Amino acid sequence: MANAPIADLSYRGYDGPLESPTQRWWVIAKTNVRRTFKNKWYWVATITSGWYYLLMMIIVYFVELAAESNPRQQGPFALATFMKRVIWVDQFVHGLSWAQIMIFVVTLIAGAGVIANDNRANALLVYLSRPCSKFDYVIGKFIGVFLPILLTVALPSLVYFLYGALSYRAYGFLSNDPWMIVKILLVCPLIAAFYSALIIGVSSLFNQGRMAGAAFAGLYFLTNFFTQMMVIAWQASTRVSRGVFRAEEGNPLAAKLYYASVDGTMIGTTKAIMNTDGSPYFGLPSPVAMIPAPPLVPMLLISGIVTFLSLWLAWSRIRAVEVVK
Amino acid sequence: MPVADIRGLTVRYGSFTALDNFSAVIPEGCVGLLGPNGAGKTTLIKTLLGFVTPASGSGIVMGLDAFRDGPKLRQRIGFMPEQDCHIPGMTAVGFVAYAGELAGMPSAQALRRAHEVLEYCGLGEARYRNVETYSTGMKQKIKLAQALVHGPRLLLLDEPTNGLDPRGREEMLKLIRSISHGKDVNVLVSSHLLPDIERTCDQILLVYQGRLREQGMIEDLKRLAGLPVDVQLREVSDAFLREVTIRGMTFLGMVGSTTYRLQAPVTLEESAARVFDAARSAEAQIRGFEKAERTLEEAFLEAVHG
Repeated sequence: MANAPIADLSYRGYDGPLESPTQRWWVIAKTNVRRTFKNKWYWVATITSGWYYLLMMIIVYFVELAAESNPRQQGPFALATFMKRVIWVDQFVHGLSWAQIMIFVVTLIAGAGVIANDNRANALLVYLSRPCSKFDYVIGKFIGVFLPILLTVALPSLVYFLYGALSYRAYGFLSNDPWMIVKILLVCPLIAAFYSALIIGVSSLFNQGRMAGAAFAGLYFLTNFFTQMMVIAWQASTRVSRGVFRAEEGNPLAAKLYYASVDGTMIGTTKAIMNTDGSPYFGLPSPVAMIPAPPLVPMLLISGIVTFLSLWLAWSRIRAVEVVK
Repeated sequence: MPVADIRGLTVRYGSFTALDNFSAVIPEGCVGLLGPNGAGKTTLIKTLLGFVTPASGSGIVMGLDAFRDGPKLRQRIGFMPEQDCHIPGMTAVGFVAYAGELAGMPSAQALRRAHEVLEYCGLGEARYRNVETYSTGMKQKIKLAQALVHGPRLLLLDEPTNGLDPRGREEMLKLIRSISHGKDVNVLVSSHLLPDIERTCDQILLVYQGRLREQGMIEDLKRLAGLPVDVQLREVSDAFLREVTIRGMTFLGMVGSTTYRLQAPVTLEESAARVFDAARSAEAQIRGFEKAERTLEEAFLEAVHG
């Protein structure tokens, strides 16, 4: 009796409820989301991704402060002059463009090991021996990466929109483009889906999260380097006229190839959906013209094809048994 | 009602035929799937789970069509794979609860049940450790725990004692024996290790080169035709041999230094009466008397090589 364990160690059958064997993907997605949310670096990257908006708020705050202390001020930083230069929809294009590097970091955190680590640990045997199909697995993993990235993309933009709607209405924040919020709500899931699919596809090719992360980083930075070369080529091809680069005279091929990268595709899609070429950062005076927005339909097609192909790659790589032919 | 009824199952990997027109009725209880490496045991299990699409054949498992009702069927089956497998970065309790949720258990129930099965499998003390830090023996146990968490009625165990030391093997065999007897769980144990099958199972399916070679109760398979008996004497006695021959018994040979294998076309009781009568007449001392059996290994080799 003295050696009897306190816990009941005997086996008992389970007679409790079992949910229908559909929508198992949600269990997989939920677990991935929970795991990403537990990572403090995810939150650091998410908050940091809104740095452009934060800086914009600070600049506007100081311009307003200066105007209060000196209502008759003149020059480029005079409130009226400054606010005339600010195109609100462009601030979201810039905010989302500058957030790309942090979205890339979050993509690595949320998705690099998502399938690669499962490959290493033979976890597919656990998943597929349950009422989970390949569809459940791929979609579950995709949604599990998509939701944290969506939060990173959308949270700063939505917070800034709310702040702008409350604070800058007098400066045309809402009247500049009444469809701005709809466009933001359309762009954010597109960016999140693109990055999620891409990392899922890359992750499925490896047996280690680190290797998948390195491959994705390689893809991102190599294409980004190409994009930066195109920026230089395009700016070199624009002619300076009274100190201002004129966009319409730039090399059109360089302008198109600028978008041929991971982040470039998303920046291009954002510009195309927002229907703007962009304007100088923070509404500050700048001689540099922005690279024109690409056409909407081809950008949507390219993003869609890359997303679909990445998911298909993951789908085709998932097997419960190694088939030797 | 049989656990599974498989008919004409053929599975090919390219040009290699892993299962060749395989047919079997798997009864309830603890059944051993016995065969050498590459016999097709794992392929059979993976085909029943829907991992592999067969070229032809049909399979009814737990009353469900194995190839059409896959998700429903997998909800009633627990699978312990041969390879190490776990969800990376999870504690044991998290992993087992997650496996339960994947099978359709509500999360609170899955967590409660995860604690229960981990205790049952002897991992209660280590349940909050990351599975990646587990020893091989513990990893085998957690594979069993994840297979049990949703209370399956059929448990498929693929080489459950792989890589275990003698103590770990002993513990695993005890667990399998315990779960498969009196718990309303049917167990199909795939192994190439005859002693493991003999210790845990009541019946076996002998698989070789993708075909079913033999099936039945282990006792029946070990039984020799004609009810021979093994008689162990204190010492070798020619007089005893003469006396049994006079009483119509045939001497089949020695199976030990002082053990005679004898056979007569009569019942076991009648054989015993003749043996004791002969021993009395020959003044030989009997140390043992038992029904003669072949080993499972002999039965296996005969089934495989004819």
